[in-house]
Amino acid sequence: MRAMRLHPAALTLVIIGAVIMMIPLLWVLGLSFKSNAELLADTSRVFSPPYTLENYLNIFGNGEVFRWIINSLIVSLGMTTGVLVISSLAGYAFARLDFPFRNLIFIIVLLGLAVPEQAVIIARHQMFSAVEMHNTYFALIIPGMATPFGVFLMTQYFKAIPKDIDEAALLDGASRFTVFWKVLLPLTIPAQATLGIFVFLTAWNDYWWPLISGTNKEMFTLTVGIASTQQNFAQTEGLGFLMSQAVFAALPILIVYLIFQKYIIQAVAGAAGR
Amino acid sequence: MRRAFLFLLLVIAACTPSDERTELRIQRFFGACDADYGGRTDIAAAEGECGIMTSIINAFEAENPDIRVNRNVVFWPGYDQLTAQLAANDAPDLVTMHGSVISDYQARDLLLPLGDAMAEQGINTADFTDAARRAVEIDGQLWGLPIDTWAPLWHINMNLFREAGLVEEGEPILPTNKEELFAQAEQFRQRTGKPYFVQATANEYASFTRNFYTFIYQQGSSPYTEDGRANFTTPEAAEALSLFREIYERDMTTKNQDYSASVSGFLNGQGGVYLVGTWMVGTFEQASKETGHALESGYTVYPYPQLYGRNVTYADGHNWVMPADPSRTPEEREAALRFLEFFAEQNVHWSRTGHLPVFQETIDSADWLALPHRENLAPLAANAQPLPKSIRRQFPIETIVGQESAAAVTGAKPVDQTLADMERRINTILDNL
Repeated sequence: MRAMRLHPAALTLVIIGAVIMMIPLLWVLGLSFKSNAELLADTSRVFSPPYTLENYLNIFGNGEVFRWIINSLIVSLGMTTGVLVISSLAGYAFARLDFPFRNLIFIIVLLGLAVPEQAVIIARHQMFSAVEMHNTYFALIIPGMATPFGVFLMTQYFKAIPKDIDEAALLDGASRFTVFWKVLLPLTIPAQATLGIFVFLTAWNDYWWPLISGTNKEMFTLTVGIASTQQNFAQTEGLGFLMSQAVFAALPILIVYLIFQKYIIQAVAGAAGR
Repeated sequence: MRRAFLFLLLVIAACTPSDERTELRIQRFFGACDADYGGRTDIAAAEGECGIMTSIINAFEAENPDIRVNRNVVFWPGYDQLTAQLAANDAPDLVTMHGSVISDYQARDLLLPLGDAMAEQGINTADFTDAARRAVEIDGQLWGLPIDTWAPLWHINMNLFREAGLVEEGEPILPTNKEELFAQAEQFRQRTGKPYFVQATANEYASFTRNFYTFIYQQGSSPYTEDGRANFTTPEAAEALSLFREIYERDMTTKNQDYSASVSGFLNGQGGVYLVGTWMVGTFEQASKETGHALESGYTVYPYPQLYGRNVTYADGHNWVMPADPSRTPEEREAALRFLEFFAEQNVHWSRTGHLPVFQETIDSADWLALPHRENLAPLAANAQPLPKSIRRQFPIETIVGQESAAAVTGAKPVDQTLADMERRINTILDNL
């Protein structure tokens, strides 16, 4: 495949845009290596040494931080797995199977896109209180598995796959599940990668629900945990520490993106080309 | 293989000593600093809110081997989490809470009264300062152990004050009325070329609210009526807002600085007086010891000067409260009370944070008075003025008062309209409780 060559003017614009977007990130990174005392007096000192690892050492000095990372991983991976399973099965059903009230149910699922989390948070909290499930992985994972966007995305992706493929497999004697599992599902990997990353990022960055459901420090996710370590006026008296926390919390996400970026690009390019 | 694995698990379980200590769940803000203070029990050597708090809790656990402290540090101020915990019947044994918030929880029967229990435990509640008592007292009952009292202060750059000719016998000359304030601010600008005040006026509402309340109270009025409604359409409220509007219009203050920029501005000598709370005393005192610093050998701090008829300053404070929890055992309750007793004994150590002690005995002690500037701040124990406990939702109200005040002070909105809008918005909240 021949690589597309960008016009020099377009390339310049892309570079300028990239630099503008990188500046805040570099600023955060730079501040994270400066002492809090220095930044209290003047943040422009980020451009001159000395630099320090003290802020990062303070993060690791909290014995709970590794537990919070594990909690975040369990919650994010659990939620991602659940969403992929549910969305794939639901998407296949809505795209391929004929059952009563299919369109009505699909519309009801889509209406979920219009309901913000804030509108249901109290009812959700009361439900989990009633069954005494707060401060469990179950409570942190389950609510996030209801993803209308995932069902919609997978439905559309399954619909875009020609039905001839299913029919050929059925003629060869494959069962419905075999068609789904061995024939169609592998074709949806780009969409699943996109959905998986989207859900993982959302779960990893989520703050509100973990804040009010996982209230014991043993169940803090990384976002809640690192926020708890901040002192009042952290943006003033602990700016370097605050920035190191931001960098630290973002690292796993960066790694995930680097691993899966091929799938993301494929999915975006595929969607654009259709 | 499976049997061997199960056997191994049983052996491990049998060898693990069971923890028969009473668990005490303490939930607090002030951040975490385990890297520096995680294992330290030397309270006297600790510095800062987080360091001293962590050391006190560590020392308590070390001195009480029958109690295991489960520490839950929450993001400031932690009330969302606490509310969620109470809704889930999973409240901790002790929680840090602002005095201005106590009535929100007490009114819904979510806190336990502690006056009698604290007295039985040997805590001298009769020695609470007026400010500390007002923070925790509702209907004659004490609903917590005060940790401290904090108030906004006049932090002063003495080097600039000297340059401005506003120092006499080593002490800053402070205004005693509005006219003197403007005259001194004018003199300050003429001689130093800098504004008299450093203020956080951008994206910062709390300081506007504190100033507004302080100068209403100083005029002998109150921002709220006795039956708990906002009362801002008064000449005194208009005067309090107009005072800061004039300061702003006459360029007697730094402008467009958020909280961080204003702290930095004061540290870098951008103005003479910084209006911020007790918590910054230690930071500025430390800066005054550094060679070449704008505050080098030139920092002092005072309560707000009396510009009107009454010598009062709006104040709030931190407190320990005990959430209601029917499942709490007598042993857990006893452990909590023992912790409160221990904490009360460390009052002078906590006051090194800059906040005011809650026991008059501590304020009168040589130890406390020996700390920098504490003699100047001692009158606050009597002059600090929290809002009445009948006013609930003081946190969201603070934001509304601050937003509206900011609009008036910066000239974006007429004072009378501001006060009417402020009153209407707040009474809408209060009417719906």
